[in-house]
Amino acid sequence: MTGTKRGSTGQIGARRKRVEDPRLLTGQGTFVDDIQLPGMLHLDFVRSTHAQARIAAIDTSEAAKCPGVVAVYTAEEIHGFVPLLPGPAELPGLRAPEHHVLANGHVRYVGEAVAAVVAEERYTARDAREAIRVDYEPLPAVTDMERALEADAPLVHEEFGSNLAFELPLGNETAAALEEADVVIQQRMLNQRVIPNTMETRGIVADYRRSDGQITVWLSTQAPHLIRSLLAELLDLPEHRLRVIAPDVGGGFGAKANLYGEEMLAVALAKQLGRPVKWIEERQEHMLATSHGRAQLAHVTLGAARDGTIRALELRILADMGAYPHIMTPLAPLQTAAVMTGCYRIPCARAEIQGVFTNTTAPDPYRGFGRAEAAYYLERAIDLLARRLDLDPIEVRRRNFIQPEEFPYSSPTGYVLESGDYEVCLRRALEKVDIGALRQQQGRLRSEGRYIGIGFASYVYRAGFPSLPKLPRTGFLKGGWESAWLRVDPMGKVTVLTGTSPHGQGLETSLAQIAADELDIDLEDVVVRHGDTASIPHGNGTMGSRSLAVGGSAVLLAAREVRHKALRLAAHHLGVEVDAVRLEAGRAFLPGHPERAISFADLADLSYSFLDLPDGMTPRLEASATFEPHNWNAPFGTHVCVVEVDVQTGEPKLLRYVAVDDCGRAVNPLIVEGQIHGGVAQGLGQALMETVVYDSEGQPLTVSFLEYATPTASDMPTLEVELTETPSPLNPLGARGVGESGTTGAPPALVNAVVDALAPFGVEHLDMPLLPERVWRVLHEAGAVR
Amino acid sequence: MAPSHFEAPTDVEAAIALLSRRPGARPLAGGTDLLVQLRLGAATPDLFVDLKRIPRLMATSLDSKGLTLGAAVPAAEIVENASIRSLWPGLVEATALIGSSQIQGRATWGGNLCNASPAADAVPAMIVCGAKIVLAGPGGEREVLIEDFTTGPGETLLERGELVVEFRVPAPAPRSADAYLRVTPRSEMDIAVVGVGVQLELDREGRVASARVALGAVAPTAVRADAAAEALVGSRLDDAALDRAAVAASTSASPIDDRRGTAAYRKSVVGVLTKRAARIAYERAQAR
Repeated sequence: MTGTKRGSTGQIGARRKRVEDPRLLTGQGTFVDDIQLPGMLHLDFVRSTHAQARIAAIDTSEAAKCPGVVAVYTAEEIHGFVPLLPGPAELPGLRAPEHHVLANGHVRYVGEAVAAVVAEERYTARDAREAIRVDYEPLPAVTDMERALEADAPLVHEEFGSNLAFELPLGNETAAALEEADVVIQQRMLNQRVIPNTMETRGIVADYRRSDGQITVWLSTQAPHLIRSLLAELLDLPEHRLRVIAPDVGGGFGAKANLYGEEMLAVALAKQLGRPVKWIEERQEHMLATSHGRAQLAHVTLGAARDGTIRALELRILADMGAYPHIMTPLAPLQTAAVMTGCYRIPCARAEIQGVFTNTTAPDPYRGFGRAEAAYYLERAIDLLARRLDLDPIEVRRRNFIQPEEFPYSSPTGYVLESGDYEVCLRRALEKVDIGALRQQQGRLRSEGRYIGIGFASYVYRAGFPSLPKLPRTGFLKGGWESAWLRVDPMGKVTVLTGTSPHGQGLETSLAQIAADELDIDLEDVVVRHGDTASIPHGNGTMGSRSLAVGGSAVLLAAREVRHKALRLAAHHLGVEVDAVRLEAGRAFLPGHPERAISFADLADLSYSFLDLPDGMTPRLEASATFEPHNWNAPFGTHVCVVEVDVQTGEPKLLRYVAVDDCGRAVNPLIVEGQIHGGVAQGLGQALMETVVYDSEGQPLTVSFLEYATPTASDMPTLEVELTETPSPLNPLGARGVGESGTTGAPPALVNAVVDALAPFGVEHLDMPLLPERVWRVLHEAGAVR
Repeated sequence: MAPSHFEAPTDVEAAIALLSRRPGARPLAGGTDLLVQLRLGAATPDLFVDLKRIPRLMATSLDSKGLTLGAAVPAAEIVENASIRSLWPGLVEATALIGSSQIQGRATWGGNLCNASPAADAVPAMIVCGAKIVLAGPGGEREVLIEDFTTGPGETLLERGELVVEFRVPAPAPRSADAYLRVTPRSEMDIAVVGVGVQLELDREGRVASARVALGAVAPTAVRADAAAEALVGSRLDDAALDRAAVAASTSASPIDDRRGTAAYRKSVVGVLTKRAARIAYERAQAR
């Protein structure tokens, strides 16, 4: 591997506290809603209260008369200056419905925008919104994918004649292998629909300057450059006069990597009205109209030999497209298929994917996008297999692990795993929980009528996407590369610009550590800037666990170039060959001659004096760099969850949670652990309590935190996190992704633990979320409780 | 829409006068339920009468007869009061389950009771402690037992112009103690699927001399389960007595199916919690 040198300041690997936190924790962050512009107008939306209905009429006359209302819009009024939203990525045979910013005579999910109001004040806009009368003719709706595929199901899009959006088989042949397998297990598994619930909801301020056509957009987004390209293309705006700023952003989880109708409309209206327009999403709107996550169902078939060697895996996946899939919506099940064989040598694997339209909010990326689903199916299936064969689930995993010497390993579904050492994570996790003692305790407590369960999940996913063949819609996803600019000011202080767009990941700290380490200067001497298309020429944003491994590698390359230039300048200044000079601890010097030295600050100052430069050297210590990964990197790990199930009430209680994760080189282990903590909490949220529920008419019943439970700190056990470091050969940092590790490992670990606890009652599977009543019901049916 | 008027009287009489004047007037203490209802459009008051500047509603006094606590005292003050905690541990457990730490800075017993949710955590715990409330209105003051106050979901005995002034919790008898348990999918910021309060008084031989059991979220209001209580009386909490109490509690519950739980689940779990809360109360009473 091409590892980095470790500077004397030792920044790489240091547990530095996040430099962004004092700002964020003392209320000095700037979020979109903090942006106030003179003359700013406020946008608000009327949303559909029906899951499927024809719009007979919309009466906006009362709203238009409200004092302070500037304009009211329906689909008719924006026709001509607001285009359709981009359809989904064009998979073969995919049927893409028209996606209007405001419903065009027909609504297809509760929460779909129907009309818009612009007013002088936010609350005026809200009052006017209430004054708009929409006359609906309700139609039958379908929110369940299996129901949607039945012949007599209501049609989400009548013109398509069915609710099947696309069908796609991936992988190789499994039939023969399943036929020959000693044992075949089959299980239907639901990966239920969840709501991202970022702490900051969506929001935008758009400002148009008539004099020169400059448009500035402040947007709560994960990808300002991608959004700029989309806006420019869709609204036919000159990209160089369009500036998108992602200020402090309070979380994205994948749901802010897309351009939404509300956002495009705000920009179009700012131009149309010649005044700044602000829209801030309410929490209830977020729960209805921001993309959801998961919403997948799989029929899992796993065939194996008697000794537990896995022969074949088959997934029949139903992937919910909602009513109007976003660009990335159909890619989720493809991601699932790509990594469906996980950490294991499975020679035959096949996924049969069906995308299904339903009268629901479209799902889109959500922390773990497609790959967390795959890990869930596989890790659950392995436990089912172990149970069937009466083998230790740990041994079944071990027996099938791809071994370190087998990499690069090509999976049957076309994904090449670059490297890994799965055994080492598993072993450490087992040592940490003291598996022998734990199992003894489990047996002892069982005889006392107490039910402890131990659940394992060994996962691998793919992170930091490489450049993919350009998706044939808009300019989305320019590539997998990432950019960095590094410049040293005359006082020797460093500014790093990154094309990633951090929104909670701590990259202002970890990217600064990379630059400080390479230049061997103090962390305090580096500042990282991001999220402004005016100062950062291009970048691909923060998503898919890419920012440190890919964006950080670009920073490293830029810092390396600056380091070389500084050394050349120092050599010139000291009158020696460049090889004789060392750059260390904030100065360049000649080893053995401490008096022949120049501080990094003086060197920086010198670099601005043209006459002091060696021939041919350009002024200033600065560099730009681009890093392109040629493959996805593969983060992996093993999580072990220990629960006690209260069989009388069905409550699962978390006793211990051990996570051993490998993200390759950990630049800042403190931040890495924080990512694991947050991800595990979010994953346990899905496993234990989160779910979107619709009634038979398609009304979502979970539209506030009163009905939609997310975990709080008090629901979490102490997380015992350990890192192993198996460097990735794919980038100069040796880093892998980490942001999605927690949401990938936690759901199968938790469910496996609860199912293990209930083994004495013959329970083999439970669908998430494991709400007390769901657990109680299965025990009740097994006759364990009255 | 926000109400057009807001008043903050400093005595009970002025509050009564304000509440009597407008039919849409609502008393406001912590506002942790009322403001949510307002946003959802479920409440449309035209006047808020803030109670927090009335000294009597913010007062706590504890003597040998028991506790007198103003209806607008924040839950956090109750939870953090060591004397209250040691005398009525179950009541404090229930209070500590209202909302979250932050919400407890504002939430009050008065609000928890007057919101009249069948799932209010503090209410079963108050009932088993024999707590009463003092209501004040245009016709004067009256004292009402907690279990008589709520008449249905969102419905109470409050007459127009009347408000809850204070709570009176009698001092626990020697060798008596209370406990409260509930089931929720998450540990805080959640609404009880089932809640059970139990108070037991023991005789010198360790037998249950008297008992009270109250159930939350299994009927239109929090209800007493006297049959369950009677099943415990005279016992040393042997398994047979506990089983009888559990069955009696299940039988006296009349829950509905809703998003949070089915009737079948609630009927089963209310018995489980009755047993467990009884055991805790028993241990506590023994220790006194």
